[in-house]
Amino acid sequence: MENTQPLKNYRILDLSRIWAGPYCTKLMADMGAQVIKMESLRVYDSHRGPVTPAPGIAAYPDAEPGDEPWNRNGWFNCLHMSKYGISLELTEEPGRNVFEELVSISDVVVENFRQGSLERLGYDYEKLKSIRPDIIYVSMPAFGNSGPWKGYVAYGIGQEQLCGMAHMTGYENDGPMKSGINHGDPITGSHAAGLVLAALRYRRKTGKGMFVDVSQQESAVSLIGGEVISYQISGAEPERIGNHSPYFAPHNIYPCSGDDRWVTIAVTNESEWQNLVNVIGDPTLHSNDAFANNDQRMQHQTELDTLISNWTISQEMYDIVHRLQEAGVPSGPVLRGPDLLEDPHFSERNTFNNVNHPQVGPKWYPGFAWKMSLTPGQVHWPAPTLGQHNHTVYNEFLGLTDSEITKLEETGVIGTKPTGSRII
Amino acid sequence: MPGLLEGVKVIDLSRYFSGPYCTKLFATLGAEVIKIEPPHNGDPIRGYGPFASETSSIESGAWFLYLNTSKQSVTLDIKSQQGISILKDLVKSADILVENFSPNTMEALGLGYDVLHDINPQLVVTSISNYGQTGPYKDWKGTELNLYATGGLMNITGEPEGTPLKEGAPLAQLGTGQNAFVASMTALMYAEETGSGQHIDLAIAEYATNVLENALMQYSYSGEEYSRVGNRGYGRAAWGIYPCGDGYVGIIAGPDQNWPEVSTIMEREELAEEKYASRQGRLLYADEVDALMLPWLLDNNKVDIFKAGQEHGLGFSFVANMQDILEMEQLQARKYFVDLDHPIAGTLKYPGPPINPRTDISAWVYTRAPLLGENTEDIICERLGYSHEAFLSFRADGVV
Repeated sequence: MENTQPLKNYRILDLSRIWAGPYCTKLMADMGAQVIKMESLRVYDSHRGPVTPAPGIAAYPDAEPGDEPWNRNGWFNCLHMSKYGISLELTEEPGRNVFEELVSISDVVVENFRQGSLERLGYDYEKLKSIRPDIIYVSMPAFGNSGPWKGYVAYGIGQEQLCGMAHMTGYENDGPMKSGINHGDPITGSHAAGLVLAALRYRRKTGKGMFVDVSQQESAVSLIGGEVISYQISGAEPERIGNHSPYFAPHNIYPCSGDDRWVTIAVTNESEWQNLVNVIGDPTLHSNDAFANNDQRMQHQTELDTLISNWTISQEMYDIVHRLQEAGVPSGPVLRGPDLLEDPHFSERNTFNNVNHPQVGPKWYPGFAWKMSLTPGQVHWPAPTLGQHNHTVYNEFLGLTDSEITKLEETGVIGTKPTGSRII
Repeated sequence: MPGLLEGVKVIDLSRYFSGPYCTKLFATLGAEVIKIEPPHNGDPIRGYGPFASETSSIESGAWFLYLNTSKQSVTLDIKSQQGISILKDLVKSADILVENFSPNTMEALGLGYDVLHDINPQLVVTSISNYGQTGPYKDWKGTELNLYATGGLMNITGEPEGTPLKEGAPLAQLGTGQNAFVASMTALMYAEETGSGQHIDLAIAEYATNVLENALMQYSYSGEEYSRVGNRGYGRAAWGIYPCGDGYVGIIAGPDQNWPEVSTIMEREELAEEKYASRQGRLLYADEVDALMLPWLLDNNKVDIFKAGQEHGLGFSFVANMQDILEMEQLQARKYFVDLDHPIAGTLKYPGPPINPRTDISAWVYTRAPLLGENTEDIICERLGYSHEAFLSFRADGVV
């Protein structure tokens, strides 16, 4: 299929691992960018999982790691569709030569190694710039490339804590709680993708590349910056209030029939409250002074939540939501994995992509992050197996001959099988 | 101070969190962002406290101040014929229009994509909504709580025995705003290369599905549902949030070869025992590991614990509150905060650029959020060329 997508003219050499960097380049690969994902056979992207994983891990198809588990891990395979997968050992002299040639044909280099790792291999911005004068070099360590903490490491789970998100997440009168994902990662990934595009546009106008210094921590604080302003104004730290709102009531999650089934209801004004009361069908609520206005309802939230829970608990989740939405009350089901894939709305919008990976078979994956009327997202191929595109990239892109490529394979500079893997 | 996106022109009809975060990125990168607000009350987020001034609350709400830095405010009644006409004038020379009304609102106003495209074929129109512009739920009402839940994030956040939990910050809306910026930039690059604009459709509920990662993949691959695990990492032990002397810290036990350091830091030889050496072993004896770590954690303070781990190569963290963030030595060393003075809100420390390009120009341009309608006359008379008399009559008619 011919690539007619908006970013088809840009080539990104992607050394990043795990989630933050790969989410950045996934957003761009979905829009047609040529992303070359480079991995070491010794230390491949740890999202591929261990070389010899314990049995029963559910990240693999039917929880079976298979003969090549590094090619069968869903956590990796959901982030690398349409990227070219190559392997290269940067610590070997021939590998370094090939790397420099790759840099010379790339518009952007992205890495999220521990701060200074690439520099210790001799590749700082000045060096890359000497190879490719207009290179955009995106370096995204945990705390950026300067300051007393620059050598420190942090994962997405730590970023949620260091940026203040965990502090304000939690049940009422209880400790901070992490999110179900490592939310710091996609936040930085998306910020980085946006900045790369702005840098590419600036380069198009001026011919100049740049060094892009990313602190994953700053990226996460910036997203929720309004909370930092709130604190300076009020002097009060954000409180953990579970699923309540600081502004409105009722605003919570309520149990439905079945095991672990829930509905969310959020009333934001008087007419929505009147509509909710009508659906509940208890006219005495209209005349109950404790719920007469939003201030009263905020004060009597516990009573209100009990009352609504008693109404929801015997009813089916989707059924309640449909009745509430027909009456104009903001509400929604709490969807689980199977629900998401069967939900009629997401099905109609093709929110998830079904992609056939040669070592996995057809599976569902998160789809494109947005829809474009003229140049929609495309899946060109499933996530690459380790080193899958070595020949394509080294031969077609770099012009290495078959015998040169064979020599790199024989000396272990490139390959398709791991030679060891450290993972966290 | 030109900014990386100098010359890009954005019309911003968006309100609350999602659209304004997208256009904040444009504005602070140097694009001209004209924020169109309804006369009198403006963007409803102006009503969200805390307020720096109780008497001028509309100008001094914390989130409003933060999300609207570097923008210009024009009041315009886009429900009036004259208002629509002025907006269409602005569209002629714009690159991007961002809106986050409920679907069909723009059509109802006579500003559907086809109309905008006819006026300016190169225009990128970025629409953000709860569930998207199509599909059976497109007209559903929703707040952050509802959308976070429907997108699947809520079910996996919280204690296994507790209820599903929403994150405290409005991350589904803000995250959609981030992605809206990437999408708009993508379309802008394409429009500048080909002359063709297009319509972008982002759904807040779909943002959640897009970052589900492990939860969706696990079910898709093995049929095994991913569930709530509280503060422990999924399938991990000694990996999560723990109480300490003055708050909470994040303990990250991996990778395996670094685990023995934990025993050294915490002065507990038992932690170095063979049975805890691997990730699997720690998971098997998770409660024992926690019990061995806890006394030292409770005896020490969060920043000291964080640094002790880091000095030994472990990715420890701590649960920072807002005061911690304002005082963080790393952020100060990197001059992260930007002091902005505002005539009503005074001087506050604004979180600065999410990312730092090092260029020979100033990539980011920070100016305070605009007062309601502060730039109306400027834009309508200077930019669009209406006479002062016309402007006064717009004002008399309540159009501006």
